[in-house]
Amino acid sequence: MKRIIQFIFIALLLGLTVRPTRADAPYTTWAWGPGGWLIMTQDAYTPLVEMDLPISEAEDMFVTSDGTIYIADTGNARIAKFVDFEEVASYGEDVLTGPTGVFVDDEGIMYIADAKSDTIVILGPDGNLINQFGRPTEPLFGKNREFLPRKIAVDARENLYIVSEGSVNGLVQMNTKGNFIGYFGANSATMSLKMILQRMFLTEEQLDQFVKNEAASPSNLTIDSQALIFTITGGGAYGESIRRFTISGKNIFPETIDSSTFRDIHVSDNGLVVAVDADGVIFEYDLTGTLLFAFGAIDTGEQRLGTLRNPTAIARFGENIYVLDKEKNAVVVYETTAFAKLVHDGIRLYMEGYYAEAKPYFEEVLNFNGSFIMSYQAIADAYFKAGDYPNALTAYRYAEDRRGFSQAYWELRNLVLQRYLTNALLLIFSLTIVQGSVTRLDRRYKWFDPLRAWWRGLQRFKLVDDFVFMFRFIKYPADSFYYIKKDLRGSMRFALLIYVWVIAVRVLTLYITGFSFNPFTSPVYIPVENEIVTTIALIFLWNAANYLVSTISDGEGRVRDVIIGSAYSLFPYALFALPIALISNVLTLNEIFIYTFSLQLMWLWVGIMLIIMVKEVHNYSFSETVRNVLLTLFTAALFVLTGYILYVLFTQLFDFVSAIFQELRLRG
Amino acid sequence: MAKRYKRFLFVLLGLIFGGLTRPLHVTALENPPLLAATAPDSWTSPAQSLATSLQQIPDTFEIVGENDTFQLYANRTTLAFKVVDKRSGYVWHSNLDEKGEDDRLNKTWTAFAQSGISIDYLDAKATNERASISNSEPLIDFKPIDQGFEASVTFTAPSITILVRVTLGPDGVRVEVPFEAIQESDPEFKLGLMYVYPFFGATRGDSIPGYMFIPDGSGSLIRFTAETKAANMFYGRYYGADLGMIAELPWDPLVNRAFKLSIPVIGMAHGEQEHAYIAVVEKGAAYGEVHAHPSGIITNFNFLYNAFVYNESFFQATNRAGAGVTTLQPKTNAFDIAIQYRFLTGAEGDYVGMANSYQQYLVENGVLQKISPSDENIGIRLEFLGGEKERILFWHRSIPMTTVSQMGEIVGDLEVKNPDIIYYGWQPGGAASMPPKKLKLDRKLGTVGQLQDLVETITAKGGSFSLYVDPQAAIRDEKGYSTRNDLAMSITNFNLIGYNRSKVNFYLNLDTLTERYPALSEDVFSQTGAGLALDGIGSMVYSDFKKNHVLNRGDAILSYQALLADSAGRTSFYRPNDYMFPYTSAYYDMPLSNSGYIYTTDVVPFLQIVLAGYIPYYGPALNFSSNLQEDLLKHVDFGVYPSYFLTHEITAKILNTSSNWIFTSSYAQWGQEIEETYAWLNALLGPVKGQRIVARAVLGEGVSATTYENGQQIIVNFSEQDFSEGALTVSGKDAVIREVAP
Repeated sequence: MKRIIQFIFIALLLGLTVRPTRADAPYTTWAWGPGGWLIMTQDAYTPLVEMDLPISEAEDMFVTSDGTIYIADTGNARIAKFVDFEEVASYGEDVLTGPTGVFVDDEGIMYIADAKSDTIVILGPDGNLINQFGRPTEPLFGKNREFLPRKIAVDARENLYIVSEGSVNGLVQMNTKGNFIGYFGANSATMSLKMILQRMFLTEEQLDQFVKNEAASPSNLTIDSQALIFTITGGGAYGESIRRFTISGKNIFPETIDSSTFRDIHVSDNGLVVAVDADGVIFEYDLTGTLLFAFGAIDTGEQRLGTLRNPTAIARFGENIYVLDKEKNAVVVYETTAFAKLVHDGIRLYMEGYYAEAKPYFEEVLNFNGSFIMSYQAIADAYFKAGDYPNALTAYRYAEDRRGFSQAYWELRNLVLQRYLTNALLLIFSLTIVQGSVTRLDRRYKWFDPLRAWWRGLQRFKLVDDFVFMFRFIKYPADSFYYIKKDLRGSMRFALLIYVWVIAVRVLTLYITGFSFNPFTSPVYIPVENEIVTTIALIFLWNAANYLVSTISDGEGRVRDVIIGSAYSLFPYALFALPIALISNVLTLNEIFIYTFSLQLMWLWVGIMLIIMVKEVHNYSFSETVRNVLLTLFTAALFVLTGYILYVLFTQLFDFVSAIFQELRLRG
Repeated sequence: MAKRYKRFLFVLLGLIFGGLTRPLHVTALENPPLLAATAPDSWTSPAQSLATSLQQIPDTFEIVGENDTFQLYANRTTLAFKVVDKRSGYVWHSNLDEKGEDDRLNKTWTAFAQSGISIDYLDAKATNERASISNSEPLIDFKPIDQGFEASVTFTAPSITILVRVTLGPDGVRVEVPFEAIQESDPEFKLGLMYVYPFFGATRGDSIPGYMFIPDGSGSLIRFTAETKAANMFYGRYYGADLGMIAELPWDPLVNRAFKLSIPVIGMAHGEQEHAYIAVVEKGAAYGEVHAHPSGIITNFNFLYNAFVYNESFFQATNRAGAGVTTLQPKTNAFDIAIQYRFLTGAEGDYVGMANSYQQYLVENGVLQKISPSDENIGIRLEFLGGEKERILFWHRSIPMTTVSQMGEIVGDLEVKNPDIIYYGWQPGGAASMPPKKLKLDRKLGTVGQLQDLVETITAKGGSFSLYVDPQAAIRDEKGYSTRNDLAMSITNFNLIGYNRSKVNFYLNLDTLTERYPALSEDVFSQTGAGLALDGIGSMVYSDFKKNHVLNRGDAILSYQALLADSAGRTSFYRPNDYMFPYTSAYYDMPLSNSGYIYTTDVVPFLQIVLAGYIPYYGPALNFSSNLQEDLLKHVDFGVYPSYFLTHEITAKILNTSSNWIFTSSYAQWGQEIEETYAWLNALLGPVKGQRIVARAVLGEGVSATTYENGQQIIVNFSEQDFSEGALTVSGKDAVIREVAP
């Protein structure tokens, strides 16, 4: 009976039949979109069938290149072999106690991690025991280290890579004899600010009560056709769950959109990486770590085809993805759609370096979904390789690839420079000559005197004078603050104008900074309100804190002095931020030094100005000034803290009152 | 080699066991076993196990009604009834007579199976207790009436009295439970759920072939098998959950939500094309739900039934941390129950017959009106996004995606006939803004005058034009309504929250709806001659608990109907529920499949068969399809017309707006594809325009044949291989149309 159903399903799988009407996928499919956001896209995979198998709580599955499935049937303590989802053999029933990891090499030799006996078992193709061994005896393994093998992968030179539960040193590398070779691919421990604070203030005893901050151990692994090891680590930092190690143990997988609860990972020979997480979501990447698709849903009791309950293993075979579900005791099969096939074909060519050949595929993909960022990247690379830099520039911009954009821009700028550089130099040279002669002639014939008179006339207006006063700070900062203090120059009105200008500059720079240097890939992502509010808050906090601190520490400055002084201190920013942002438009990442250095210089200048301001306005000695500045910063921090505490308290109060009303309404 | 061996083995098995063990054919009807080619009649041959149908009526039953086609027998103590279909002699049982030796039924379940009515009642703490007629010793006042019986049942423990009336009619049996006769005498206890004849037509495991029908998506069958993949029963509320009780639709962007049950019909077939029934819920569907148990879940019976919700418990949170109390709703839901069981026999005894029977029911009740097509060209839905808004600094800027004149150019340019044009996001501010109370277009899109001209041009060409409106929705954080006065409220005193087209919205209360909708629709109909494409209101129905606005879900449906009956123009709907069919001139987003519950075995075009010849239906927009060829084949197979979502501008412009769910739409990209799909589909579906579907068969693996009333038959081959039978050849992934004797 069951066999017959199976036959039909097999026929389905082999493509003998196609179910005329397939149910709609119970999940939506998402792809990498602009701004690093996920965007919805056409289905990449549709659920095909759920195959019930005679297994129990199976923890691992290995699919060979001919489609034979080996399942570590944990509950039944055996390795079961399936051909076309029909059980053809069962191995190791007398040796195994609770296998959780299985790997099969080209000759059919099975490498098994047995979790109950904590041993590695190697079985021949017929199930004959080749070797079984436990904890390595080598001292190098570590005196107190436990050996808890859970998952296993083997490379062509018969090196065993073993996931040992809780191993902080990474994977255990052994040979088939059971000799310990070394540790491989350890994760690094991360230290958060909270941990650092704990370490600073807590006693040894208290610290011992916390879980030791050790590197998370990888939870599963796989090996690709180039014998590179992939690992997944649960609960780590966002974007770093998947690692791909070179032979020397260096991670070459970039940060990418991922899940912190990955269960298993698989890499196919054509370079597609799939991983499944505890929530039943399947992620597909290319070898460079670009997320292609994310889809899948957990079964919340609706029991829809394609949802998962407790996935433990994943593998790709041909155009299908198999996911082993421990709770369903079944393998769920997903089939590639026409759309995903297009993407895969393009990526295969692209990864092999056939950019021009891959381009038409990605252009077709863009027809399906114009926000499929990966396509722009591939198309941009194709343009760049073909020397079509203007198109490459546009495409890189869509692809949000700053490096590519910068390179294409460098090429374009180079062309422009080559063509116009001589003329431009000539122009500058002749302009210099003209300017020189005009200056000399002016000195003799006083051509510009009426202009100067008009300018002096203008300075009678207070605001104009205030403006001119700003430039005085470049040469005589200390002196100029004294003028403010004595009410000789500068005004509240102009100070406020400076603040407004600073806020405007802050927002404007975000809009006009060149793409290569702009933190935002598109103006629409710029949180204008946030920028404005934070800038205002910072200005307010500085002024308030500084005035309050100074009044209790013998500062002479009045509120007016502090506000005007601080405003004038910000002049480097007000004057230079915009030009720097403008210049960034003609720079490439090769000249990043120019950009960052000028920015740093500007901020340093602002800092120095503020310190001089404090010193002059309040008439402090140098040590008093430093103390005052530090106190100001501390007070500002306290303001923020107080504000936060008040906010929390008031929310609590509000909750309490509204709960009372709710209760009254319900029961009264 | 291996494949061939298996095929042989299978055929052999089939030959040996074919006649004996029906359950061999657990495979989808839509997906026949490999065996089908060698024994094509295996489904239609009479099954031996149906011999039980000729069994005697037990002495405990007395005859209470008879007409030309049926006899009705009733049992005074359990209120069970039996119907004899005189055409075939087949007996339909409403309940289990005797528990069999192998039946996996405990005491409660046995009583449930043997009683006509069971109830769940709730005490003040909202704990649930079940009482069935045969295990709770109720007081029964049984009274034979003309062609049936009437019984008043008083469940003594909770002091709840109900009245059940069962009468025989020309098509079958009608079961009624009037609300006015329900008495909850003890204030301590409230009526919760009522199970109405839960074991009607129940079968044991795979003892006979057949299936249960549930109205999920286009239609789903659950074949009778001994074992099931299901871990728990199917549960589905007609018209979806009541938002008034749950306040907020669950939201998970990763989940493609299951279809709502849009028609209150369930059914069962005993044998293939032998005996079948459908149960149409005529009254009370707003509070009705379907429970379907495939054999293997708790019991060894296959059964499905309607249950009705009178009182529900709900969780009232008292603070934001989530603490609170579980209490009962303040007032019992007031509604009458009426279910009509319609019996089918012979060739009609399959899902096509069921669908046709339901269609006939709808026609008799004036719900469906036959359309007479003007020409033999299919329609195509082209939905245009007008405007959408984007945030720039502190303001919003509206982005014109398709202006009225651009739309005119596109429609004039496309070589398609009878286009059904929908204009989405026409209102000032675009798609994410509230539609105005009076007709007014976004300034950047065009003027009402231009719109009127366009409508005239399109109508003259045989097409139709509608403006998209979701009349119930009050888009969150938008101007144009008052949160204090205009919104419906849940029982927990929150605004109802739902999601549509990537926007979060509240729901208007009936007063506001009845004020706004007629104003706008009157404007649209009279000023432009356009119709309205209505989203939401066709499929969404919620109760309202706001003070002075309290509204029952059933009354809401009646009000919606009245609202639409009063408006003069053309209205079309997105996935409307059955009660909107009278006002539906086109059905959009027709499901091409079901929700994919693993225990359902077949996807069938039930809904399509019901509507074919009466309401033209259009599928989901094809630009979002991931397997275009396969989806087109589905369209042909189910007789569904194509749909596309279009913009004049490039799609990237709306990337950072709430309409970014439209991830591909540019006319420049899709124009040619639209013409190609239209031409291909028109050649196949044109000749059957306005025709009813009368038969459907599976000819081979992945090959289905649908016959229309004018004798045209469409054969669709979903497989990669060519299919040939006699003179007929269909290449892989293709479809043909041919004439057969009607």
